[in-house]
Amino acid sequence: MDARQELTFGFPRMHKEEGERRDFLPPLVAMLADLGCEVAVERGIGSAMGYTDEDYVGTAPGLVRLVDEETAYGQDAVVVLRAPIERFELLREGAALFSMLHFPTRPARVRRLEELGIDAVSLDTIEDDEGRRLVVNSRAVAWNGLEAAFETLERTWPLLTSRDRGPVRVTILGAGEIGKHAVEAATKYGNVERSLVLTRYGLAGVEVTTLGRNLTANEAYLRRRLEVTDVLVDATQRHDPAVPLIPNGWIGLLPAHAVICDLVVDPYLLDVDPPTVRGIEGLPQGNLDRYVFDVDDPAWDELPPEIPTGERRAVVSCYSWPGVHPKRCMELYGTQLAPMLETLVQRGGMSRVRRDGSFHERALFRGSLRAWLHPHLAEDLVGTSGW
Amino acid sequence: MGRSVGLPRMHQEAGERRDFLPGLVAWLDGAGVDEIVLETGYGSAIDLVPDAYLSASRRARFASHEECFDQDVVIVLRCPSDHELTRLRPGSVFVTMAHFATRPERVRLLLDLGVHAIGLDAVVDERGRRLVENLETVAWNGVREAFEQIRVRNPRFDHPGRRPLRVTCLGSGAVGGYAVHAATRYGDPLLREALWESNVPGVEVIVVDFDLTWLEGYMLRRLRSTDLLIDATARADASVPVVPNVWLGALPEGAVVLDLAADPYALDARPPVVKGIEGIPHGNLDRWVFPVDDPAWDELDARVDTTNRRMALSCYSWPGLDPVASMREYGAQIEPVLRVVLGSAPERWRVDGPDHEERAVARAEVSRWMRARS
Repeated sequence: MDARQELTFGFPRMHKEEGERRDFLPPLVAMLADLGCEVAVERGIGSAMGYTDEDYVGTAPGLVRLVDEETAYGQDAVVVLRAPIERFELLREGAALFSMLHFPTRPARVRRLEELGIDAVSLDTIEDDEGRRLVVNSRAVAWNGLEAAFETLERTWPLLTSRDRGPVRVTILGAGEIGKHAVEAATKYGNVERSLVLTRYGLAGVEVTTLGRNLTANEAYLRRRLEVTDVLVDATQRHDPAVPLIPNGWIGLLPAHAVICDLVVDPYLLDVDPPTVRGIEGLPQGNLDRYVFDVDDPAWDELPPEIPTGERRAVVSCYSWPGVHPKRCMELYGTQLAPMLETLVQRGGMSRVRRDGSFHERALFRGSLRAWLHPHLAEDLVGTSGW
Repeated sequence: MGRSVGLPRMHQEAGERRDFLPGLVAWLDGAGVDEIVLETGYGSAIDLVPDAYLSASRRARFASHEECFDQDVVIVLRCPSDHELTRLRPGSVFVTMAHFATRPERVRLLLDLGVHAIGLDAVVDERGRRLVENLETVAWNGVREAFEQIRVRNPRFDHPGRRPLRVTCLGSGAVGGYAVHAATRYGDPLLREALWESNVPGVEVIVVDFDLTWLEGYMLRRLRSTDLLIDATARADASVPVVPNVWLGALPEGAVVLDLAADPYALDARPPVVKGIEGIPHGNLDRWVFPVDDPAWDELDARVDTTNRRMALSCYSWPGLDPVASMREYGAQIEPVLRVVLGSAPERWRVDGPDHEERAVARAEVSRWMRARS
């Protein structure tokens, strides 16, 4: 038996909140079984998206089996989307954990994984030679957020579906990776079908104005822009998260029907130094259970008292926009993760993944705890891009 | 491995300076190929000396253009002429930007020759996304050049008292998205930082797509307040311009037009192809900036309306402006393709196998590509 056949995989479920419906889908499990790996999936996996246990086991009856949560965590490699922070102890020493672990912002988590001897791979730091993330769903962040924003706008502004209006005006703060997708999503009302219908009826489309840092800091300009904005999108990456980009008072400049779309979802952390506040001051923070907040929603009043919330507009906000359409989200993550897991199997485990191996091997190495703890190891991994 | 790899140069035009970097030669060496045959002068246009390649692999040597085509695997970014293709050996693997979809005669020729051609532009993942592309560089290079023209023509460009610059971008797809990002940064992060430090107002980028560009009244108003007009469209019907030449007259005299779509004029094709912004010249790596009095406007086919003119920038290959950066990116992207090419014989590549890279390469191999469409 070669190394690849010895690797076993575990797919536990995520139990953190009711609205979390995502699990990895049967095709990813089938791919691993095709490679000769045994796969242990937690009973009920995929059920919130309409999958049955048989959909998973049926992909390779001899190799894929249903297990309890503890057994799923007890495999050589464990794959679970959100960081299982309360389950680390269930992992074996030396096991590989594939998850959104966010090493850069979670030092305590990094220490714990190191103490437990877990060969962790953070999906959010798997990058190519140019520093681009390979397991990422920023497109879904933008499209799902804008879809919710336009659904809300249809309620707050019935003119949206009337021929009597001019172009819809969207202002996007930030032009980075998420902002880029937000531009495309906004020009299509966040939903291609909605766009086709409105276009067919001869309605004017969407004018999208994108502002980078060198204009979002220009108060006079920004105040004028807010006055003519139907949908305001926060897609910024602020240098100083202690200072809001749009103070709460400016929200009052927006038309009464305007909708604020929060794609960044920074938390309020007022007790840390420096504190973190949201880019648009005073907005409630949503999750998969609730992400639309009208102006009279109790969530506004539940914010810390030192946060001004006097000016309000309808808000859509969700800490995990991709999770709004769980199946679509997991299809993408599965496709992106497949070559990484395939490489892992080919190498026979994380300990054999080389810093100067193939394209995917290098990317996998960059995502590893080993590379995070010893950054010099991941430097100059440029493959053919070097001289 | 028992295979030789040929790396011929591209000779279509004098301004083409791109060749793969020595890193690719080192990678091929590591992959175990027997011999790497580079065309004499390879890399010289980007100031690389022969030793840069020879020191990357003991199995590398320089030879003639023709000899490079006579190897088991031939890799060249831009597809050479049909005449050159006939030099390829039957059974060899040919890796290039082949553009099968728009070059049916080339497809027939490659099939007749028995060459396993892989269209790099056809290597896509299961979601249809290209694995070898340089769209980000298209946008950044074009936008950088456009702002350079604006800077030269506008003495108050770096004055804190000027108003924000206004960019109108047609199209919000892949190129458009990068163009927006680039435009908010003047196409140059260092320039952006410098202007930011000097409190110079930034750039307002307005994107309009096909559901708004048909609205003449709106478009004319928009064009009147535009400093830079960008065509980043991917039109469903390339026979109709998005901005007819008469609309160009609405742009301020000092405005600049940037063509990132780089559609050619093919008026005799059926259906004909015209540029998204009607009347602007089609540039290349030798010449991409066209002032209003440039002879290139008058050299266009008489059927093209060029009455209204503004400073225009157009290049069929924007990445070629930064040849090293472009080839660094292509070099990294092509590596997984070559892993498949060198890993097994073309007959064994499976479009339904477990290896996603093999599937992507198999789909882009000319005979399988053709079968999937017949």
